[in-house]
Amino acid sequence: MVIVGGGVHGLATAYYLARNHGITNVAVLEKSYIGSGGSGRNTAILRSNYLTPDGVRFYDRSLKLYERLAAELNYNVMFSRRGHLTLAHNDSSLRTMRWRAEVNKASGVDSEVIGPADIKKLVPFMDTSERARYPILGALYHPPGGIIRHDAVVWGYARAADAMGVHVHQDTELTGIDVEQGRVTGVRTSRGSIATRVVVNCTAGWSTLVANLAGVRLPVQTFPLQAAVTEPVRPFLDTVVVSGTLHVYVSQTDRGELVFGASVDPFASYSTRGTLEFVEGLAGHVLQLMPSLSTLRLLRQWAGLCDMTPDFAPIMGHTEVDGFLVDVGWGTYGFKAGPVAGETMAECVATGRTPELISAFGLRRFADGSLVGEKGAAAVGH
Amino acid sequence: MKRQTRRLDRQPGEVIDRGSPLEFGWNGRSYPAYAGDTIASALAACGERVFSRSFKYHRRRGLLTASYTDPGCIVQVGDEPNVRGAHRLVTPGMDVRSQDTWPSLAFDVKAANELVGRFLPAGFYYKTFIRPRPLWPTYERVLRRFSHGGVVSPDPLSPELSSYDKRQVHPDVLVAGGGPAGMTAAVAAARAGARVMLVEEEHSLGGHLRWGDKADLAALHDLRSLLAASGVEVLTNSVVFGRYDHNHVAIVQRGLPHVYERLVKARAKTLVVSPGLIERPYVFAGNDVPGVMLSTAVRRLINLYAVKPGDRAVVLTANPQGDAAVVDLERAGVEVAHVVDARGGDDLVRVLGRGGVKGVELVGGHRIECDLVVTAVGWTAPLTLLTMAGTVAAYDSRAARYFPGTATLPDDVLPAGGVVGDGTLDELVAHADAVGREAARRAGSMSRREPAAEIPALPVDAHPELFHGPTHGIVDFSEDVSSRDLLTAVEEGYSSAELAKRYTTATMGPTQGKLESVNVVAIIAEATGRTISQTGTTTWRPPYAPVTLGALAGRHREPVRYSPMHPWHERHGAAPLVAGAWIRPDHYGDPAGEVLAVRERVGIIDVTPIGKLDLRGPDVPKLLNLLYVNRWSKLEVGRVRYGVMCAEDGVVLDDGVTGRLGDQHYLMSTTSSGAASVWEWVESWLQTEHPGWQVHVTPVTTSYASINVAGPRSRELLGRVVAEIDLTPQAFPYMHVRTGRVAGVDGCVLWRIGFTGELSFELHVPASYGLHVWETLLDSGNDLGVRAFGIEAQRILRLEKGHLIVGQDTDGLTQAFSAGLDGLIRLDKDDFVGRSELVWQAEAAAESRLVGLHPNDASVVPEEGSQLIEAGVICGRVTSSRWSPTLHRSICLAQVATEFAEPGTLVTVRLPDGRSVPATVTEHLASVDPEGARLRG
Ligand SMILES: Cc1cc2nc3c(=O)[nH]c(=O)nc-3n(C[C@H](O)[C@H](O)[C@H](O)COP(=O)(O)OP(=O)(O)OC[C@H]3O[C@@H](n4cnc5c(N)ncnc54)[C@H](O)[C@@H]3O)c2cc1C
Repeated sequence: MVIVGGGVHGLATAYYLARNHGITNVAVLEKSYIGSGGSGRNTAILRSNYLTPDGVRFYDRSLKLYERLAAELNYNVMFSRRGHLTLAHNDSSLRTMRWRAEVNKASGVDSEVIGPADIKKLVPFMDTSERARYPILGALYHPPGGIIRHDAVVWGYARAADAMGVHVHQDTELTGIDVEQGRVTGVRTSRGSIATRVVVNCTAGWSTLVANLAGVRLPVQTFPLQAAVTEPVRPFLDTVVVSGTLHVYVSQTDRGELVFGASVDPFASYSTRGTLEFVEGLAGHVLQLMPSLSTLRLLRQWAGLCDMTPDFAPIMGHTEVDGFLVDVGWGTYGFKAGPVAGETMAECVATGRTPELISAFGLRRFADGSLVGEKGAAAVGH
Repeated sequence: MKRQTRRLDRQPGEVIDRGSPLEFGWNGRSYPAYAGDTIASALAACGERVFSRSFKYHRRRGLLTASYTDPGCIVQVGDEPNVRGAHRLVTPGMDVRSQDTWPSLAFDVKAANELVGRFLPAGFYYKTFIRPRPLWPTYERVLRRFSHGGVVSPDPLSPELSSYDKRQVHPDVLVAGGGPAGMTAAVAAARAGARVMLVEEEHSLGGHLRWGDKADLAALHDLRSLLAASGVEVLTNSVVFGRYDHNHVAIVQRGLPHVYERLVKARAKTLVVSPGLIERPYVFAGNDVPGVMLSTAVRRLINLYAVKPGDRAVVLTANPQGDAAVVDLERAGVEVAHVVDARGGDDLVRVLGRGGVKGVELVGGHRIECDLVVTAVGWTAPLTLLTMAGTVAAYDSRAARYFPGTATLPDDVLPAGGVVGDGTLDELVAHADAVGREAARRAGSMSRREPAAEIPALPVDAHPELFHGPTHGIVDFSEDVSSRDLLTAVEEGYSSAELAKRYTTATMGPTQGKLESVNVVAIIAEATGRTISQTGTTTWRPPYAPVTLGALAGRHREPVRYSPMHPWHERHGAAPLVAGAWIRPDHYGDPAGEVLAVRERVGIIDVTPIGKLDLRGPDVPKLLNLLYVNRWSKLEVGRVRYGVMCAEDGVVLDDGVTGRLGDQHYLMSTTSSGAASVWEWVESWLQTEHPGWQVHVTPVTTSYASINVAGPRSRELLGRVVAEIDLTPQAFPYMHVRTGRVAGVDGCVLWRIGFTGELSFELHVPASYGLHVWETLLDSGNDLGVRAFGIEAQRILRLEKGHLIVGQDTDGLTQAFSAGLDGLIRLDKDDFVGRSELVWQAEAAAESRLVGLHPNDASVVPEEGSQLIEAGVICGRVTSSRWSPTLHRSICLAQVATEFAEPGTLVTVRLPDGRSVPATVTEHLASVDPEGARLRG
């Protein structure tokens, strides 16, 4: 079978196909190098404090898989569970935090609403005073959340899949999908053709282009999401900090750089160029949170593509074309889902049945009106 | 105090001012310097050679480039981390310290890393600390302590470090880079009539001419005079760090009085990119030992700062600049022990010495003692601005460097000088002059009929391809990545330039690839048996130079919105509430008392932030029918109606009332938080889906001050201040609108609606009269017991009345049916936004409902967000809750699963503190006056 896209989703799917189902006659096609898409550009925040019980269950499974990934792949993916803070600057977000905390607790996920004094203890650099333009009223604290080394996850999966016999073809672009009588018979690539009955589309920001080749329409729009890092400074920030009101999140890597992200650009585009407006807004917001960082220098900015769905939930499983499956719609939050998506997609492909964990994410939901609702917890938090 | 033992006699091109001596501190000791010295030049003049420790192995590092990009001299200045010591000028009393050394620069414990160096190859961390699993967090904590960089402090910064600024400029021609090419181009463009801005990263103009010979200095003198007379605006110590779409060019300007850094944003008609060339380091064993420098570094030290860089030197040269360095060294009294001419195939094998250069080993094993090793092996064109403009860089093996693919450049960007070629100074000037004239022509500063300037192509000199010697050495100095690491990466399969870069972190550090990226590509190319062209380049990502967050943010001003009545609120002790852009009165000290005033007498509240859109045109009813879920075609003049908007997914978006003021004139109100987004929503539907509809939309939120007058005596109060409007229930019934004069102010809109559940009138008065009307109402109603009330009282009142708040009692998930809006939704309307989803929902029956809820223990007020849990499963949540002063009990609204929504159902509320309390679903959402008798009174 053929998997299109050498990001975490494509590679994890290949890995679990081989490991859990013994299927190794698999080709992963990647038009550039592995991890060149969102998987090598994201800010690698992992968490499971979602809003709906279904979301919580799904992402919690992913975190559990991430926890043992290093040992399993024999590759240090540097999962750093340093805690994750989502700030509330007004009473309505505080209310949502409380709601999320209560849903999380009910599902056994560690989340708590904490006040400004506790926030200050966790992040001494934070302006928790009432003088702030948008004073911090509290935060959702999620100790198991953290960050991971994104490239390491991609490479670890690729290496392990390769060792089991999967072929990873870099610099190989999918250019056509042959569909006869409603079922897939093969694919064409920039380096030749492959006969296959199964194609899994794991191309995130490019997923509608690939789906079009199979004649499948997806309710997905591609938006750029930007990020930036600073020069390294000595460690001073131990937790991941997210502010929805200020559209910004910050973490400090083990190398000492601050990594910043925000919400998607306001219009659909395939551009991966960074903009000046973005870094200006970003810097302003970061300094509102931590005013003493003005002398810190921004070193690099970049953008990645995000495949946004109307309900901020992914699209996974079969489509109307027999043998053409999708694992897309990962928007701004799909890195953390890599393992669980790979595991469930592999099961879906291998058994032909849709695992319970992803049954809510089928493409059909857009035709029969059963959307999933994670907008509230996924919009900025990723 | 230290002495300037290595300071040379006066040099012809020196930039130091010997008349202005000063002192500054280095690691706590006092050092002498002259004004014009950089931190690095001043320290070097005193014989210091070690300025930092390297990233991974904590090896001693000295000067390499003696310019902004020098990776060896990044220091802490006071509270400022990562200062480029070879660029920053010293000032009296400056407190400079080395970074990441413990306990001291001379003896660094962490240098132990170097001893285990062979255990830290590329990808080391990926391959270790894996088992047993619990170990990584521990190692991580240790490793974090080893991380690199300066220190930031949580304390507020001094004013000098916390003042930033922005400036917008609109030059015809912007020139990035003030060497001879940039200076010439700027003068030529200005002479052709263009308004020109010239930006130079260093503290003075002239580029490489500054450290050149007599002829160079004379040429520079002439260029400076021409420039001074040309009217070009010159920014030095400033750098163009980004070229964004449509020539939006970002510049960071440093060294201004009172402003630490300024972001200059230029919308340039044409951009000339003339950054010159950056000298490339050579990769061989020991190339990072203090005392190994580039030829440009020694030439800068000698000619600009009059510093003798060593006593006995070995020079590896492959080009005339290297030869010139030999001449400079000898003139400065440095003994040149040996010149290795790479053009003849000679090479250096390794540097001897660890803490500082002790000698070199040549091919064949011959060793030479020396304390300075100089390399001149080629150039890198800094192409960031050009690649940001869309050019694809192409490698030319004959010249051993990359060039911009000019075919891929937009018309408004012109490269000039070293990035496109070499040649004599005369050739360079002729070329740059033409570039400048052409830039002016393209900017429209010359007549359009003027023919395009013929830009003479610069010759390109042949240069040997020299990237590394016979031994392994450091490739990325700021990241401590060696050529061996790159080979390891390739061997392990990370064979594309981009993967190897990521795996080893080469080019990811503070020098941003400027020094190392070409060497990285060349070494990978060789290791993979490909050419450099086939290997490609690694991406040059913006910014071109690091920029402070402070400069990017500017004077981070977040505008605040106040209503015209705000001065009154402040005078009367209002507690401020941050509500998006607005600051509003939360209460005036006694929210419960304010509630009772409204229930029993009359109160007024400032509701100015309510969104208001003035809609005009024959097609307004079509618009309203499209965006609201209810029916709008038959709204008569003089009436208002409540409406709810949904998004395409059937989720409730906003609500508000819209009144019809005239035949083709409507006023729509939105929630306060939705004011901007609903306007965008309306415009986007009109502009993208129905451009033919005749509807004119004007946002008037702040044109009106809005006041709600509520309570049983509100009619009486209002009667005292309005003229010519009949307020009797028959003449002005519930859900009607009138316009007229209030408190002497014409053009007011009044509508009779009731969020609080009491008889009430909402006034929209021209904003400048808001305070006047507000005070008149209070003055006129003294005997009626009128009282101002705030948001908190309003929230209690509306909760008592069971009126929902969109976004609180509904949320990003709540579809209209679950919000209890069944009666409103007209699925029989032709079409409206969200209809198809709502049709599905109507068939499927909502999964949850909004209900009223009373805790059985009337004294318990469950926090909003508390969950309802039955048999361990979540079946709902409390969306609003308050203590009701009217009923003397706690009251709530809740979203609950349909099977629990029947009035009288007993449910369990789990409080955030873990306690569970029983509560009962009430018959109505309203706890007070469910029939609405008071409202319609
Ligand atoms: C700036 C940024 C920050 C983010 N932050 C987070 C975060 O903190 N936490 C989180 O969980 N998520 C985050 N995300 C989202 C996350 O990165 C993505 O959801 C995730 O990486 C998607 O992985 P993927 O494997 O599906 O897609 P990708 O990694 O994008 O891989 C798709 C691959 O398909 C390839 N491809 C496309 N078309 C073709 C073709 N025709 N033939 C062959 N190959 C093709 C592409 O080259 C690409 O490599 C962020 C995203 C961005 C951009």
